[in-house]
Amino acid sequence: MPDEPDRPSALDDIRVLDISGEMGLYCTKLLADLGADVTQIEPPGGHPARRIGPFYHDETDAEKSLYFWNLTTSKRSITLNLEDGDGRDLLRRLVRTADVVVETFPPGYLDGLGLGYEGLCRIKPDIILTSITGFGQWGPHAHYLAPDIVGAAMSGVMWMAGFPEDPPNLLYGQQAYLSASIQAAAGTVMALYHRDLTGEGQQVEVSMQEALSISQETAMQTWDMRKEMRGRQGVGRLGVRVPGIGPYECTDGWVYCFVGTPGGAPWSDLLAWMIEEGKAEDLEQEPHKSMAENISMPFLTSIMLEPETAAEKLSKLAHVHEVLERFIASKSKWDVYQEGQSRRLLIGIVSTPEDLVRNPQLNFRGYYREVHHPELADTLRYPGPPYVLSETPAALRRRPPLIGEHNEEVYCGELGLTHQELEALDRAGAI
Amino acid sequence: MTERKLPLSGLHVADFSWFAAGPIVTEVMGIYGAEVVRVESEARVDGLRTIMPFAKDKTGYNVSGWFNNYNAGKLSVTLNLNTEKGKELAYRLVRWADVLVSNFTPRVVERWGLTYEELRKVKPDIIAAYEPMQGFEGPHRDFLGFGAILTPITGFAHLTGFPHQPPVGMGTNYPDYVINPIHTLTAVLAALRYRRKTGKGQRIELAQLDSSVSALGPALMDYAVNGRVQNRAGNRLPHASPHGAFPCLPLEGAGFLGEDEDRWCAIAVFDDTQWQALCRAMGNPAWSQDPRFATLLSRKKHEDELEQQIAEWTGTKTPQEVMETLQAAGVPAGVVQNGRDVLEGDPHLKERGYYVYLDHPEAGRTAYDGPGFRLTKTPGVLRSPAPCLGEHNEKVCKEILGLDDEEIAELLIEQVLY
Repeated sequence: MPDEPDRPSALDDIRVLDISGEMGLYCTKLLADLGADVTQIEPPGGHPARRIGPFYHDETDAEKSLYFWNLTTSKRSITLNLEDGDGRDLLRRLVRTADVVVETFPPGYLDGLGLGYEGLCRIKPDIILTSITGFGQWGPHAHYLAPDIVGAAMSGVMWMAGFPEDPPNLLYGQQAYLSASIQAAAGTVMALYHRDLTGEGQQVEVSMQEALSISQETAMQTWDMRKEMRGRQGVGRLGVRVPGIGPYECTDGWVYCFVGTPGGAPWSDLLAWMIEEGKAEDLEQEPHKSMAENISMPFLTSIMLEPETAAEKLSKLAHVHEVLERFIASKSKWDVYQEGQSRRLLIGIVSTPEDLVRNPQLNFRGYYREVHHPELADTLRYPGPPYVLSETPAALRRRPPLIGEHNEEVYCGELGLTHQELEALDRAGAI
Repeated sequence: MTERKLPLSGLHVADFSWFAAGPIVTEVMGIYGAEVVRVESEARVDGLRTIMPFAKDKTGYNVSGWFNNYNAGKLSVTLNLNTEKGKELAYRLVRWADVLVSNFTPRVVERWGLTYEELRKVKPDIIAAYEPMQGFEGPHRDFLGFGAILTPITGFAHLTGFPHQPPVGMGTNYPDYVINPIHTLTAVLAALRYRRKTGKGQRIELAQLDSSVSALGPALMDYAVNGRVQNRAGNRLPHASPHGAFPCLPLEGAGFLGEDEDRWCAIAVFDDTQWQALCRAMGNPAWSQDPRFATLLSRKKHEDELEQQIAEWTGTKTPQEVMETLQAAGVPAGVVQNGRDVLEGDPHLKERGYYVYLDHPEAGRTAYDGPGFRLTKTPGVLRSPAPCLGEHNEKVCKEILGLDDEEIAELLIEQVLY
């Protein structure tokens, strides 16, 4: 689906000033793609996140960070030095016509500059200040340094990932930062909704630790209710390799199976497929056939409840697992995924980024968007918005901005500065 | 103190969802003031009601901590949507509702007449938010999916973990808890703003595939633009070193069978200032003064050895000691906390009251996650525990669906309220 810049948007009456660091960029991207006018306010020289890769054609350049571009679609950019008195004055002037300010500074920093919630209220009484930090604005850890891995660790989510014999796994892709940003976006729109009704602004406070914590799934409740510890389990949640559950290698990658659980066709259907292709080996006969056909959670529980026969049955299960391994190893991952799904088996491809970019479902639905970068004479493929709204579509409305690309448009065009003033501020390091 | 109205006070939400990705959306709405009715059925009980952890020594549908944590504050009505009368009552609920949320499959949504087109006939300005696994259209629209295979399909499993291990994902149905539901919530709130301005509702579709994949943007672009397929890289980052989880003193006897519990602290150094601070905090050991470790690039070259050396230092301390020492020195560090830590060992979460304890008639007094964002002037409230299955049949039937005692009795007998 092509982007539709002329359709109404849910936030087109909203102006957002983004003075945030890395942790807040996705929040304002969500707001910008929903139609808000978002100005990315970067320090002179560019936002620090521009130094993070991957880079366009591996060219390390502040104007070529794919990481930064993914987080700054639909935004404009101005440069401004918050450490400079003239810079701060410019910010104050911009706040006069702003609805939302998003920031990720250590608690107290903006207050010290007279630009915290109270300071901003003096300029614009109904301002919404969205403050996103590692641990929130108050509490014993409020000043802790919190890159993404610290959020992931302290939220309890990192504890759950990986194999028991390895260190706990970090979730790929700055998930703690993203979670904080997503929560902040929801909180900001809710604060706007409240302000629409009452005229009252407020501060939206996000602690990355709290933002992510619910993603512990059941670890918290398991301790709370039963004083039992849920930990990382590698391949199986049961500690035993159950045939039909877990990753299986293919000729060209992996699939992940969850066969034998409710919600999909039973193991007997998987066995039938293997038999059809002549690859069931001795599972077609007893004593293996009736065991293979009946693999399910209740079945496994019943095995574990009879310790005398458990060992023998578990070794039979191990054999089923090996035959299944060989079956899947003979096929390509897309074949297993698509054929398995057509048989209503709960099987998922372990998608690589390539699989995702080529995924027929995503492409049929127009998930990816083409964004033109004139300075590169290139059109690049971007992930699209996470949702589709029928009346007020989310869209990638402009390509990510160059550093200070809109300085003139904003400072001269909107604030009324002359070009000479702009130059002077630039030379003085205020912008 | 005057009682402040919450942002969503007076809003009515019909929750036709289950598991996590749907219910969490409406639970947050309830925390911020909305009235939320969950439509359940004894014929098709929410799977989470049947999965552990269960309150100790309790059984039944009302004691799962997994279900309860996503359903605080809601009313539960049981409606059998396979009956004509059940469907009719569902439409009465839709008439009452401002927002409807569903993560049922497209087939089920269509079978039960809950498509946007049908809802609009009943409530023209309804905001209907759907969270199908892969969308309502397309070649894979009817593919089966639950969180367990969503993680591999959406690319997380391939990218997470150590390279020498097979792809097993994050140990949880990760996208179900924040990414999908809170993306959805953001869209719903945006739609609510638009409706207040214009009177128009709309249809929101968040395909869980799309929404999850949106959290992997850099890897997608690295392939789309550079042709590179990123692979899992453990806990390391290209622009930081050290960056990972380091083994600390185990917690003696804390394990399930009395074994020691392994403990870890995450440490991350992004620049030379932090590196020097780390060295000082460790007592400037001789190895750390070697030029091999002086810069980020050189640390990356010798990262295995770097990690081993740091592990020797952390191995003599508890993770809390490591975290406190390093944070005081200006080095990012954080305990890799577990379920016990977040509830009992974290002074910050405790002081902030993040976990809220509620008394449930069957499950007892248990902890619930608070909201993931806070509004300082209109703070959200977890007003009541998760509902028992069908607990509010009578209340919903009388107060919302406009039925009297006789009609209710009939519906019970006919197994419509079921």
